Amino acid sequence: MTHDSPQAPLLVVRNLTLVHRATTGSTPILRDVSLSLQRGEILGVIGESGAGKSSLGNAILGLLSPDFERTTGTILFNGKPLDGNNERQWDTIRGRRISAIFQDHTASLDPLMAIGPQLEETILATNDTMSRRQARDHAIQLLTRVGIPDIDQRYHHYPHQFSGGQRQRAVIAIALAGRPDIIIADEPTSALDATVQKQILYLLRELVEETNVSIILVTHDMGVVSEITDSVIVMRHGEIVEQGPTSSLLDAPQRTYTRSLLAAVPRLRVSNPGERKERTKHLNDPPLHVGSMEPGTRPILVARGITKSFSGGVFALLRTRPQTPALQDVCVQLDRGMITGIVGESGSGKSTIGRIIAGLETAGDGKIEIDDTCFDPSRSGSRSGLLGKVQMIFQDPAMSLNPRMSISESLRESVRYGAAIAKDELSIVGTMMDRLGLARSLLPRYPHQLSGGQKQRVCIARALLAGPSIIVADEPTSALDVSVQAEIVQLLRENVRERGISMLFISHDLALVQELCSSIYIFKDGRVEDAGSSEFIFTHSQNPYTRSLIDARPRRFTH
Amino acid sequence: MMTTIIGRLSQAALLLLVMSAIGFVGIHSVGNPVYNIVNIETATAEDIRNATIALGLDQPLWRQYLLFMGKVVTGNFGTSYIYHLPAFDLVMSKLPATLELASIAMLIAAPCGTLLGLLAGRKQGGAIDRAILKASVFALSIPSFWLSMVLILVGAITLGWFPSGGRGPTVSLVGQEWSFLTVEGLRRLTLPALALAIPNIALIARLARAGTIEVESQDFVRFCRAKGLSPRRILFRHTLPNISIPIVTIVGMQFGGMLAFAVVVETIFAWPGMGKLLIDSIQLLDRPVVMATLTFVSLAFVGLNALVDLLYAMLDPRVRLST
Repeated sequence: MTHDSPQAPLLVVRNLTLVHRATTGSTPILRDVSLSLQRGEILGVIGESGAGKSSLGNAILGLLSPDFERTTGTILFNGKPLDGNNERQWDTIRGRRISAIFQDHTASLDPLMAIGPQLEETILATNDTMSRRQARDHAIQLLTRVGIPDIDQRYHHYPHQFSGGQRQRAVIAIALAGRPDIIIADEPTSALDATVQKQILYLLRELVEETNVSIILVTHDMGVVSEITDSVIVMRHGEIVEQGPTSSLLDAPQRTYTRSLLAAVPRLRVSNPGERKERTKHLNDPPLHVGSMEPGTRPILVARGITKSFSGGVFALLRTRPQTPALQDVCVQLDRGMITGIVGESGSGKSTIGRIIAGLETAGDGKIEIDDTCFDPSRSGSRSGLLGKVQMIFQDPAMSLNPRMSISESLRESVRYGAAIAKDELSIVGTMMDRLGLARSLLPRYPHQLSGGQKQRVCIARALLAGPSIIVADEPTSALDVSVQAEIVQLLRENVRERGISMLFISHDLALVQELCSSIYIFKDGRVEDAGSSEFIFTHSQNPYTRSLIDARPRRFTH
Repeated sequence: MMTTIIGRLSQAALLLLVMSAIGFVGIHSVGNPVYNIVNIETATAEDIRNATIALGLDQPLWRQYLLFMGKVVTGNFGTSYIYHLPAFDLVMSKLPATLELASIAMLIAAPCGTLLGLLAGRKQGGAIDRAILKASVFALSIPSFWLSMVLILVGAITLGWFPSGGRGPTVSLVGQEWSFLTVEGLRRLTLPALALAIPNIALIARLARAGTIEVESQDFVRFCRAKGLSPRRILFRHTLPNISIPIVTIVGMQFGGMLAFAVVVETIFAWPGMGKLLIDSIQLLDRPVVMATLTFVSLAFVGLNALVDLLYAMLDPRVRLST
C-alpha cells in the first residue's frame, strides 16, 4: 500500500496486559499482547467472543470502561505513548487521529438525530477551522463518497429511514470525518447480509487505498479476514495465538486453534457454471412451490397468500414516504419431518413470516394450515388448539430467556404448558439436558451465568420440551461463535430428525442453509423470489438474485 | 389516523362514564347533603322533606344518576347546594389560580429535575450521584404539609422575603384573573409553587438519572465519544433527547395531578384553587361541584395524554413514521 515503506509503524502495542478490577486474580482480559500497524495496512484481529479482541480495540481508542486496568504495556501512536486516563490528550486523538466503526449500525447512531447533522457535528468537532456551511458541504461529499444515494434529499432523514447497509455506510462516513490515521472497525459487517457485507468490505478497501488510512478490523469471521486484510492476528483467551500476513496464515496455519477456526467456517458447494448450464436444459419450468419429495405424504404446514404491512396508527398522516408492505402474497410449505430454509436480507420479511407461522404476529391476510387444521392468521385468537405445537428458537438466546427465572424454572414451564403431557417434569428436563449436552448442575443457575452456547442449548431444550410438531428457528446461530455454531446446528439437526419434527430454518447464511435444509425459499422485499429443493437452488437456479447471493460468499470459502 | 382518533375519543367517553358512576355512588354513600343545607337546630321534619324533594334526593339512586347524566349531556352540572351558583362555572372560576400554580411548579420542577438527573446519571456512583439520590429520597418521603410549613418558616418568617399565604391582587387577561403577571403575585406564588415542585424535582431527577445511565451505556454514546465529541455536547445533544420520553410522560401525569389534588399545599397557603374547592365540597357533600370537578379533572387527563402523545411524535422520529 505505502510507496515508502519500510517506515516507522503508525501504531505499536507492546506487551499490553489488561485485568478486570473486580475479579482480581482471575485470568487477564489481555495478556502480553504486542502488535504493530503500518500506514495503509488493514490488520485483522480474529477470535471468538471473550478472546479480548474488542477490549484491544477499546484500549487503543481509550474507551475502556473504568473497571479495566492496564497493568503492563505501552501503546505508541506515531512514536508517542497513549495514556488511557489522560482525557485532555484523548480530545486531540479521538475522532481526529483514531476513530471507530462499531458492529451494530443501528445502535451506533443517535436514533433521534438525522444522519446529516450527526456527520456535520462530527466534522465540526474534529476540524477547528471549518464553518457550518463548509461542514455541511463536506458532509454531503462524504456521504456521497461512501455510497449513499440521493443524499441531498435524504440529508435530514433519520437513521431508521435508512437500510442497514446505508446506516453502516453513514457510520463509516462519520469515522472518516476527522481524516483519521487509524480506524478501529469492530465487527463492521457482522450485522449485515452477505451481499451488503461484501460491498462494505470493498468500500473499506477502497478508502484505504484512497486515503492511506490504516484499519484494525476486529472480527470473528474468517471470510471477512480472507477478503480484505493484509495481515492477521488470531486471539484466544486474551492472548495472541498466531500472527502473520493473511495469505500465508490462511494457507498454512501453524496452530491447531487457527486450523479449527478455519475448519468451522461453513462452506458453500457450488458446481461450476458449465455444469450448471447443462443441467438447466432439463428444467424448463422450475417449480416455484416446493412439492413434497415423496408423493402421498402431505406437508405439515401450508401458508398461502400471507400478506402483512406495518402501517396505520396515530401519525400515519405525517408519513413522508410510501410504506412497503412487509410481506406480499407469500406462500410457504413445510414438508413433514424435513428442514425447510428461508434465506434473505434483513428487511426481506423472512423473520416476519416465521413469526406469523409461530403465531407471534398477525398477518393482514392469508391462510395457514397446520396438520390439516386450518386457521386465519389475521386473527390472533384463532389458533388456540395449536398452543405448544409450533415452537420458536430466537436469534439471541440472551434476550429470549427470562433473566429472573432459573434454567430449571424456564424448562419446567415449557413442559407444563406445552403440548406434551408429562408427569415427572424434573426427570424429563434432566433427560433433555443430558441429550443436549448441558450439565444438570446448570439447573439452578440463571441465564446470565451461562455462556452464549449454553443459553442457546437451553432455548432449544425449551422448544423441544413443549413437544412441538414444528420448530421455527430464526437465525439460531448468528449470535454465537463460529466453533459453537457448528455444534448447535448439529444438535438441532439430530434432535429434530429423531423426533420427526419439521423445522423452518431462517437464516442469512447460504452455506448453513445448504448444509441443513432439503428445500429453500429465497425472500426479497417481502416476496418469495426463488424457491426449490436445495439442489435446484444451488446448481440450477437462474434467478439473478439467487446467483448474486451465492456469488457474494468469500471465494476462499466456496468450493 | 381517523380510527385512532375515534378510538381515543371513545376511550375518553368510557373513562368519563365510569368516573361519573364511581364519583356519584361515592359521594352518595358519604352522607346525606340535606343535613348540611338546612339548619339542623331549627329545621322541622317538614323542612327536611321539602329540601330533599327540592334537591331530587327522594328519588332512587339510579334515577338520580340518570337525571344527572341527562343534564350533563346538555352541559349542566347543576347548581351548587352551598354557593347557589352553577357548579361548572364555580369550578372554572378556580381554574386560573390552579393553572398558574401548577404551571409554575412544573416550570421549576421539570428543568431542575432533568438537569439533576443528567448530572447524577452521568457518573453513576460518584459523589454528585450519591448526594442527589439521597436528597431525592428525602424530598420524596417528607409529607407535603411539613414541607409547606418549613417553607413558610424559612421563606416567610425567618427571611421575610415571601408572604405566607393568599393569592393577593390579580390582573385580568383573556377574561380571567391571573396573579403571575405582577411582582406581588409572583412573590405569593413562589412558596406554594416550591412546595409542589420539590417532590416533583426528586421524582423527575430519579427518572432522568435512570434514563441517563441506560442511554449512556448504549453504543451510540460510545460512538459519539469515539468520533471526538465533547462530553457536554454528548450529554445535552444526544443523551437528553433520548431520555425525554419517560420524562414527558411523568411531567404530563404529575401536572394533571397538581391541577386537582394539590389540596394540602393549597390549604396551607390559603390558595383558592380547585383542590381546595374539591375537598371543601366533599366535606359539605356539595354533589354538583364534586361531580363537575371530577369531570373536569378527567377531561384534563385525557387532554394531557393526547398532548403527551403529540410530544412523543415531536421528540421521536420513529414514532412519527411507524406507529
